[in-house]
Amino acid sequence: MNEAAVRLSGVTKSFGAHTAVSNFDLDIPRGTILGLLGPNGSGKTTMIRMIMAILLPDQGEVELLGGPPDMSRRSRVGYLPEERGVYPKMKVLDQLIFLGELRALPRKQAQRRAMQWLDRLGLSDWAPKKVQDLSKGMQQKVQFIGTVLHDPDLLILDEPFSGLDPINQDILESIIREERDRGKTILFSTHLMEQAERLCERVCLISRAHKVLDGDLREVKRRERSGAAAIEFEGDGGWLDRLGIVNYEIVGDAFHIPMNSRVSHDEILAAAVASGVSVRRFEVLEPRLHEIFVRHAGEEAAEPAMTAMGGAR
Amino acid sequence: MRQVWVVLRREYLERVKTKGFIIGTLAIPLVLIAIMGVNIFIALQVAQSDRELVLVDLTGVMGEEVAERLDQVGYELELAGPEADLEEMDRQVTEEELEGYVVLDNLTMAEGVFAYRSLVPPGRTRIALFEAVVRDVALANYLSTASGAEGLRELIRGGRLEFESPLGVEDQEEAEAARVSGIAIGFGGAMALYITMLLYGAFVLRSVLDEKRNRVVEVVVSSISPWRLLLGKVLGVGSMGLTQMGIWAGCAILLLLVAAPMVAAQIPAADLSELTGFLPGPGVLVLLLVFFLLGYFLYSSLFAAVGAMCATEEEAGQAQLPVIALLVIPFVLQMASIEGTSMKWLDWVALFPFFSPVMMFPRAATGAVPWWMTGLSLVLMAAAIVGTAWLAGRIYRVGILMQGKRPTLKELVRWVREA
Repeated sequence: MNEAAVRLSGVTKSFGAHTAVSNFDLDIPRGTILGLLGPNGSGKTTMIRMIMAILLPDQGEVELLGGPPDMSRRSRVGYLPEERGVYPKMKVLDQLIFLGELRALPRKQAQRRAMQWLDRLGLSDWAPKKVQDLSKGMQQKVQFIGTVLHDPDLLILDEPFSGLDPINQDILESIIREERDRGKTILFSTHLMEQAERLCERVCLISRAHKVLDGDLREVKRRERSGAAAIEFEGDGGWLDRLGIVNYEIVGDAFHIPMNSRVSHDEILAAAVASGVSVRRFEVLEPRLHEIFVRHAGEEAAEPAMTAMGGAR
Repeated sequence: MRQVWVVLRREYLERVKTKGFIIGTLAIPLVLIAIMGVNIFIALQVAQSDRELVLVDLTGVMGEEVAERLDQVGYELELAGPEADLEEMDRQVTEEELEGYVVLDNLTMAEGVFAYRSLVPPGRTRIALFEAVVRDVALANYLSTASGAEGLRELIRGGRLEFESPLGVEDQEEAEAARVSGIAIGFGGAMALYITMLLYGAFVLRSVLDEKRNRVVEVVVSSISPWRLLLGKVLGVGSMGLTQMGIWAGCAILLLLVAAPMVAAQIPAADLSELTGFLPGPGVLVLLLVFFLLGYFLYSSLFAAVGAMCATEEEAGQAQLPVIALLVIPFVLQMASIEGTSMKWLDWVALFPFFSPVMMFPRAATGAVPWWMTGLSLVLMAAAIVGTAWLAGRIYRVGILMQGKRPTLKELVRWVREA
């Protein structure tokens, strides 16, 4: 169980003159949640399609569950494509049973599991309805059920949260965590940094076909700390000026102090205490994923959409 | 194999359960019945509609004979003598109390020319009938004075071919009936094969294209090999087709059992046994089924390949043209060879597997080719299916996961090589 669930080595894929994925290496250890992050068009979907052997890489190797991505291994994967694929005219339950049976579940069992999942996602009333009569979000949930129905070892979800309302996003997040707790590996792509920050243990940042960085999220954040700090206190803030710190920023009740090579964290804290204010909170700030991304990929790589959605808060 | 079965069942049930299938399956026999009914109705109406035509006989010798003969073909003409008031009749015609009147006079006696006065010119059939009758009567009248008139009249009519066979007279009639019914069955079968292969082939194309377009196929082929998916799909649509044809055949049998006696009762001249003589025997039906199955497999895999290489219906509409041409060409050749027994070389053309269903079935059904030729064509078709499935399967395998523009021929060759 030590081998990686997914391993890419030196994977490159071009479409004509456009390179979609360039010399990509990635290891996804089993039992982890990995977020594949990057703006639209950065190569996330191409990479996922290569992992699922829908596309073949021009160069490099793809390993899935310890070997080449052949049929037997792919059938142990639950794959949710970015462009949702459902049979629009089929009934919800029939569709799920079909997908289950296709993955070797006995009919009865497929039906039972499908009903359980539909129940859990609040769709049991819709079981006898045609898929095309459901809203986009509901269709997506149906497809997600189709993805997990056969209890796969690896879930590959391409933009699973897009199109879901916050409540359903939460439900999906908790299901993903549950599956991880049951020892499953989850790879999902998103351009929403917030989501990734909440959910991922590991992240892989991709920009313009290139890997920007990957690794354990906390590790990455620690590594990427800028030294900025936040301090919250009751009392007069004049001591900050006396320390020579002027470029602070007030966020809520806290003063955010950017990295400052002249004044150490200890000196800031000591000065605060010495000035007689009562300190409620002092924290070395962790960078947000968005900042890390921008720092590595360059501001121009982060699309406006991502800045707006990922970095607003 | 279970996966193939799962795909087959889905493909079958999802089609059979649709309103389109139910309507399509039932509507076609209903429409046919309706058309037949309307035709019979109109025919009866036309025959029965009293034609208010007057036959004015100024000759005094031709009138009765002409009226009687026209009566035999369904025209009741009121006979009037030289005393008839033509001006009054013109008035009646103008005011549409009378459809028209025919005048036979001395010129009719001499040259067969007669007047037909009416507001609307008569139809072609009426012209031909009236002309024939008048000519005949005038001729008979003219010749009645001469000796040997009968023979002369035959001569005037022109030569007549009388077919003779070394078999007895009854055998000869039977052989003729068998030949005609053979042509009917052969042509009907070729037509049915042509239509069904086109119809169900298009279903397979649609199915492949839809799955590709809504990306379900990406999920599905993560758990089933494209070969099995294609096989299940083709078998599922094929089963649907057999179901549909079974229902149609059932309707036809029902129609014959119920409607044929009714028709026979209406038209005393129609002999029921003559009608049933045109029905195919069980042997021919089995042959038809075998040709359908082989032809369907052959063409459906081609249609599947076309569906897999296209991204939109417009594209598919274009890309399927070569496949449709493969179906149309034998149909045209078959039309050309339907009467001709001289074009023996077409028997060899019929061996070409893609042409065999439409061209070899009618030959086999009518016994126009030796049995070994039929057998050979079946073997060749089976071999062609293997080849086509291999080729189409490879195109399918690559194509269903491709997005974007249709591949060029060069790219197709690469797909086949690489798959």
